[in-house]
Amino acid sequence: MVGPTASLSNLSRADGSASFKCPTTGYKILGSVNAPVELPGRRDALKPEEATVEVFIKPGNTTAGVGERYVEGIIRTMLQKLILGRERGFPRRGVVITLAIVGGGAIARGDSYLTLLPSLLHTSLLALLSGAVPMSMTYSTALVAVSKSNVIISNPTLVEAKAASSLHVLAFSSKGHLLLNESQGRFDFDTWKTVQQCAHALCRGVDLPEVDGDIAMEAQGDSGTAEGFVRETVENHLYRDYAWKIDTE
Amino acid sequence: MASPLVLLPGDEVPTRHLPSNKSNPLKLGPGLRLLSQPSSTSQNTQSQHVLAATQAGILTTDVKRNTVSLLSFPNRRYIPTVNDLIIAQIHHSSVDYFHCMVTPHTAHALLGQLSFEGASKKTRPMLRQGDLVYARVLSIGLGAGAEVELTCVNPATGKSEPGGLGPLNGGMVFDVSTGMAARLLRASSSSSEQSESIDGLVVLSELGKKLESLGGFEIAVGRNGKVWIDCSNAGESAVKATIAIGRCLQTVDEKGLGPTDQKKFVTRILREMKLVS
Repeated sequence: MVGPTASLSNLSRADGSASFKCPTTGYKILGSVNAPVELPGRRDALKPEEATVEVFIKPGNTTAGVGERYVEGIIRTMLQKLILGRERGFPRRGVVITLAIVGGGAIARGDSYLTLLPSLLHTSLLALLSGAVPMSMTYSTALVAVSKSNVIISNPTLVEAKAASSLHVLAFSSKGHLLLNESQGRFDFDTWKTVQQCAHALCRGVDLPEVDGDIAMEAQGDSGTAEGFVRETVENHLYRDYAWKIDTE
Repeated sequence: MASPLVLLPGDEVPTRHLPSNKSNPLKLGPGLRLLSQPSSTSQNTQSQHVLAATQAGILTTDVKRNTVSLLSFPNRRYIPTVNDLIIAQIHHSSVDYFHCMVTPHTAHALLGQLSFEGASKKTRPMLRQGDLVYARVLSIGLGAGAEVELTCVNPATGKSEPGGLGPLNGGMVFDVSTGMAARLLRASSSSSEQSESIDGLVVLSELGKKLESLGGFEIAVGRNGKVWIDCSNAGESAVKATIAIGRCLQTVDEKGLGPTDQKKFVTRILREMKLVS
């Protein structure tokens, strides 16, 4: 299977940016992060001691509508919990995340947004990392579909997702918490439980017995998982940026 | 160290990577925080504190100064820190303060009308909108949303320390990444032979050698990712030389050129601009 592709810091004027391409759904997302910035005219809406997270999604071929607003809300709620908005320079400022859908099929009004959600979440994570926004942990997400014959399809294509009886997007933090669960369609709890296990395997690999700090980290390094992919992308980029430092050591 | 350790937010710093200097307390650089709860899975119960990363970066330690810090992505936004040298642009002036822009889309920083060397009510510099100053961050205020204050003078001595603080006349400003600005400052603070080995930056010394015949150039680096360059001694080719230096610095930054490539690039640019034969 072809893995996703991503690159960091593509935009020179944004503080952080990333592009992400999902091979199965074909979506290509370009994300930028600007933080901390002053949010004009919102002094009353800002929290006094924390940063405000704003997410904007721009579809490639039309203006943002109800569907985009809905997904913006999901992403914002999740990221607000992870971004450390009390770090120096961040309180009363904004963390503005802009995600543009630059490739892949268009989502018509009323279509499910769940197929796009994992790509959007991965792009925002990579962009936040590249903008050095302080966060308490990272995360990884997976899309899982359950077909009419009750077969679990991990990383479904758009056709498979359309035919599925239920669709699930799950996000796990780098510490193993379930951060996000968005499901649609008909399913029962047992199905959801298998879906959860499948998504966990996609994100974080097979459950290893919990081990102490640095040993666990090396075990996670396998690149097949979504988490390993994020780590690998970041590592590659940092090694390239700091080649001048690493070479002299 | 064979390959340096990269941490993502939430990762704990392994104890074996910490400097084992017990004489003075360990200092944390940017991107790290101290969490006082031991992780539930931790087997050794003695350690009550863990160091966790809050940004993605390469872990670096300095055994001599007993510090740990994370080197994050170089194009991040500058966040003011006390004692940083920055290049600010005057936005407008009020009775007591000049309101300066340090980074785009952030609140203005304040620079006292009298915080210049030898300034008094009558001799203070008349700066106008768009003028540049080389200043030091005096304070970043307490609490959320506090104002940043700048100064061009050391309040204790009344001198502009370190030298060169004050209005920047003439010249031109180029944008570089904050990581590159920090590198340039570090390279200039150490002696020239050292800087090659520390930060792999030979572009400035190379430009200095090549442009000596034109009268050299002046440079001021701000931690907020701005570089001011002035070649007013170069006479007719002053503009050309300024642009050439700016292009060299920006390209070295963007492409991450190594020392030999930097030398080659400097020679190429100067030849293209017909500054040296």
